[in-house]
Amino acid sequence: MAISHRLQCRSILSALLCAAACGSPDGAANELVVEVWAHSGQEAERAVLEAQVDRFDQAHAPLRVELTLIPEGAYDEQVQSAALAGDLPDVLELDGPFVAAYAWQGHLLPLDALLPDSLLASLLPSIVEQGRYRDRLWALGSYDSGLGLFARRSALEAAGIPVPTSPPEAWKVDDLDAWMTRLAEADEDGAVLDLHLNYPGEWYTYAFAPAVRSAGGALLDVGELRAHGALDAPASVGAMAHIQRWIADGRVDPNVDDAAFVEGRVPLSWSGHWDFARYREAWGDDVVALPLPDFGEGTRTGQGSWVWAVTANASDAEASAAWIRFLLTEPEVEAMASANAAVPARISSAEASPLYGPQGALRILYEQLQGGFAVPRPRTPAYPIVTSAFQEAFDAVRSGQDVEATLTEAAEVVDQEIADNRGYPPTTGSR
Amino acid sequence: MSSVRRSGRAARILDAPLLLTLPALVGLLLFVGLPFALAVGMSFTNLRLGSPLPLEWVGLEQYTRLLGDETFRRALVNNAYFAAVIVPVQTALALAAALAVDGSFRGRGFARAAFFIPALFPMAMVAVVWELIYAPGAQGPLNAVGQALGVWMPRDFLRDPVLAMPSLMVLSVWQGMGLQMVILLAGLQAIPRDLYESARLDGAGAWSRFVHVTLPQLRNPLVFVVVITALLAFRLFDQVQILTRGGPGDATTTVMYEAVTAAFTRQQVGAASAMSVVFFCVVVLITALGRRAFRQEASTA
Amino acid sequence: MSARATRLRRALSSARSIVVVVAAAVWLLPAVFVVAGSFKPDALVLSEANGWRALWPSHPTLSNYGDVLRRVQFGRILFNSFVINLGIVGGGLVVNSLAGYALARLRFRGRALILAIVLALLVVPLEAIAVPLFYQMTVLGGRDTYWAQILPFVANAFSVYLFYSFFLDFPRELEEAARVDGASTLRTFVEVVVPNSAPAFASVTIVTLLLYWGLYLWPLMITSSVDVRPLPLGLASFRTLPPLQWGDIMAFAVMMVVPAIVLFLALQRWFVAGIATVGVKR
Repeated sequence: MAISHRLQCRSILSALLCAAACGSPDGAANELVVEVWAHSGQEAERAVLEAQVDRFDQAHAPLRVELTLIPEGAYDEQVQSAALAGDLPDVLELDGPFVAAYAWQGHLLPLDALLPDSLLASLLPSIVEQGRYRDRLWALGSYDSGLGLFARRSALEAAGIPVPTSPPEAWKVDDLDAWMTRLAEADEDGAVLDLHLNYPGEWYTYAFAPAVRSAGGALLDVGELRAHGALDAPASVGAMAHIQRWIADGRVDPNVDDAAFVEGRVPLSWSGHWDFARYREAWGDDVVALPLPDFGEGTRTGQGSWVWAVTANASDAEASAAWIRFLLTEPEVEAMASANAAVPARISSAEASPLYGPQGALRILYEQLQGGFAVPRPRTPAYPIVTSAFQEAFDAVRSGQDVEATLTEAAEVVDQEIADNRGYPPTTGSR
Repeated sequence: MSSVRRSGRAARILDAPLLLTLPALVGLLLFVGLPFALAVGMSFTNLRLGSPLPLEWVGLEQYTRLLGDETFRRALVNNAYFAAVIVPVQTALALAAALAVDGSFRGRGFARAAFFIPALFPMAMVAVVWELIYAPGAQGPLNAVGQALGVWMPRDFLRDPVLAMPSLMVLSVWQGMGLQMVILLAGLQAIPRDLYESARLDGAGAWSRFVHVTLPQLRNPLVFVVVITALLAFRLFDQVQILTRGGPGDATTTVMYEAVTAAFTRQQVGAASAMSVVFFCVVVLITALGRRAFRQEASTA
Repeated sequence: MSARATRLRRALSSARSIVVVVAAAVWLLPAVFVVAGSFKPDALVLSEANGWRALWPSHPTLSNYGDVLRRVQFGRILFNSFVINLGIVGGGLVVNSLAGYALARLRFRGRALILAIVLALLVVPLEAIAVPLFYQMTVLGGRDTYWAQILPFVANAFSVYLFYSFFLDFPRELEEAARVDGASTLRTFVEVVVPNSAPAFASVTIVTLLLYWGLYLWPLMITSSVDVRPLPLGLASFRTLPPLQWGDIMAFAVMMVVPAIVLFLALQRWFVAGIATVGVKR
C-alpha cells in the first residue's frame, strides 16, 4: 500500500474547510487522501470511475481520492479479510443487498448526518430504500438496475404474440408458456428463452426472486425474520417448479457463449440493462424490453446494484462523504449511466435520459422502479445466508431435483443461521 | 591433531540430529500445528467472522450438528468415492506412462513432456478450461466429440447427478497424473539395470520381469505415490468450487468445500473448524491403517 | 541375435514409439485447446469449440495477450510469484532435506515422535488452518508482505516425507566412506549425500512448485496490493460477470504456465544428468 499522508481533521468545521475547493488551512504541505475501494466491472465503468477520480481531485484539491479496483470475483473475501484486519478503506463500494449485513457488523458509518435531505429527495426512491437499514441510511448508489424480458419484436409479431407496453400488461406466465410453445415451432432446437444460466452466483437471486414474489411467495419474512413459511411456501415452490419445467422441457438455451440472444438462437432473454447495449447493436430497433411474466400476483422485477458507503474505519467521514456527494451530482450520475446503461439515480437524470426518458427504449424498466413493481432483495443482515441458500437451491432445481424438498431444506439452513445469530439484535454499530 | 579434535567437537554440536530437524520442526509446529490447535479450539465455540455478537463456548455442539447434517455426511461419502476411484486409476495411469516413457525411443522427450505438462497447470486453471470442454449442448467440445462418435447425446455433465463426480475425476486425473508419473519415473530409472539382466539370463519374460523386478523395486515410490494421491484426493476443493459448487444437490460436495464455504461464505468459523478436525481424524485413521498395510522399509540391498 | 529377431525388436520399438507418442498427443489435447484459444478472438473460442477448429486458430491474434498485459500488471505479479516461490522452494530444500535425512538415517531419541508429528501434519490442508493462520500473520504484521507468503510454507511435511523416502534408499557405502574419513554428519550430508541425490532435490522442487505456484486462497486473504500479489490472483480479474472473455483467460493460462514449463525443462536436464552420476549403484 502506498504511503499516504493523512491529516486528522478533528472538527466537522475544519473538515468542511478541508473538503472545500480551496487550499487546506494548514498550508499546501498537507494532503487529505480518501481511500476508496470499488469493484472492477465492465471496462466502460472502470474508465468512467477513473475519470471521476480525476475530476474530483481537481474540484476538491487538496482532497484527493486513491482508488483501488478489486476484481468482482474475489470482492467479498477481500473485503472480509480487510475488515478482520481492521484494514478497510475510507469508502467502500458494495453490492446493495449486503448493506444490512455490513451495517450490523459495525463496518459502516451512517450517512444521515453527512448528506443533505435535498440530495435524498432528488434520488429515485428505490435508491434510498436500498441503503436503509433500521431507520438509518448507510449507503447510496449512483445507479440502479433494470431487469426485464428482452425480445425481438419481429419474432413476436410473426408468431402473433401481443407485446406488453407497460408493467400492468405483463404476460401471465401460463400465456407465456403458450407463446413459448408457438415460438419453439419456428425455432431450430426448441430453446427460445435465455435465463442466463451461465451467470454464477448472485444473478440467481437477483433474477429469480422476483418470480417468487410475483407468485405471492418470498425468500424471507423480513418482519418475523423467518424463511420457513416464505421460501418453502406453496407459492414459492410453484414459481420455481414452473421455471424448472421450462428447463426440463428444453425451452431454455444454456447460453454457454453468452450470445444466445445476440446470435438469434433465442427470441427471449431474461436479462438486465447491462445487456441492452449489445442487444441493440445486434438487432437495432427490433429489440424491445418487456416486463417479467406475472406468476399470479402481478409482475415483479428486481432492483439494486452497487452502492457507496463510508466505513467505520474512515479517518475523515466528511471527506469520505464528499466523494459520495460528488458521485451523486447530476453530471457524474449521467456520466456513469451513459457508460453502463443503468438507471440513473437522480430522478431528473432518469427523466432526461435517452434510454429511460419518456421516449426511451428502456422506459418500462424505469416505470417498474417508480411504480412499485420492483422488489428489493431482503434487507436484513441475514441476506448473505439467504442468497447463498437460494443460489444452492436454484442450482439443485435447475438440475432437476425436487423443488419442495430443496426449498424446505434451504429454509431450514437460513432459519438455523438466523437463530445462531440471535436474530441479529441491534448492536452498537447499527444502533 | 588437537585442531582436528576441536573442529570435530564444534561440528558435533551442529551434528546433533535433533538440531538438523529443528528448523523444519519449528516451522511445522508454528505454522501448521499451532493454527490447527487454534482451529480445534475454535471448533468448541460459535466463532463467526466479523460478528458483533460475543464469543461463546458451545462444547461439542458443532460436532453433534455435523453428525446430524446430511450434507456433511454426503461430503464424507463423496470424498471416499473420489479417493477410491482416483487413487488406483491415477496411480495405474502414472505407472503406465512412466513405463511407456522409460527407455530410449524416438519421441520419448515429447511424450514425457506431454504427459507432464498438464501438471503444471494450477488446478484452478484446469477447472476453468474443462468447464468449457464440458459445456452443455452441442457447442461443448466433449459433447461434439461424443455426438460425432455416435456415443452419446449432448449432456450437461456437470449438472448430471450421476456424471458430475466422474467428470471431476477425469479432469483431476488429467492434471494429477503428471506429477505421479515423474516420481515413478525417477524410481524406475533408479532400478539397477543388472537386476533386469540377471532376470533375463534366468529366462524371465517381460511380464515376469515386471512383476518380480520392477514392482518390488518400485515399492517405496509406489507407496509414496499412493499415499500422496490419497491425501490430495481428500483435499478436493478447487474443482468443486469452480465447477459445481457442491451440486447438483449434494452430489459433488466435499468436506473441504463445506468447510471453506462455511468459513468464508457464511462466516461460520466454529463450524468450519469442527469440519476440519473431523476431516483430520478421518484421514489420520486411514493413513495409519494404510501404513500398517504397506509398511515402508529402508532398502537393505 | 538373428537378423529377424533384430528386425522384430526394431519394429516393436517403432510400434511402441508410435503408440506412446499418439497417446501423449491425445493427452495433450486440452492443453492444445487452451493454447489455440489464446490466439483466437473471444467469440471464436466458443463458437469453434465443438470442431477440429478448436485446436487451431484460423484468425490468429495477439489481442488477448495484450488484454492480459493491460488489465493485470503481469510483469509485476510474475516477478512476485518468482520471489515467493524461490523463497519457498529454496528455503524448503535446505530445511526439509536436513530433517528428512536426519529422520531417515540417524537414530536418536524422539525420532519416532517427530516422524509421527510430520505424518500427522501432512494431512492438514491449508484451507483448514487458513483462518487461524491469518490471525497469526496479521498479529505479526505480515499483511501485504512477501514473507507472510513465504515463511509459513518453507517447512513442509510433504517435502520432509519425500526426502525421508528417498534417503531411506540412499546407498550407505558413500556415507560410510565419508565417516571413516572423520566427517561430521552435517559435512557428510552436504558433501556426499546432497550431490548424489539430484533426483530427490529435483523431485521436491517440482512438487513444491506445483503446490505453491498456483496458490490462490492464501495470497487472497493476506495481500491487497499488486506490489506483492502473485500470478493466481491475476486470474480473479477475469472471473468477473460474464461475458467471460475466454480468449483472455486462455492467454493468461498460457502466460502463467510458460515460466513453469521453462523451469521444468531446465530442471529436467539437470535431473537427467543427476541420474547418470548416480550410476555408482551396483
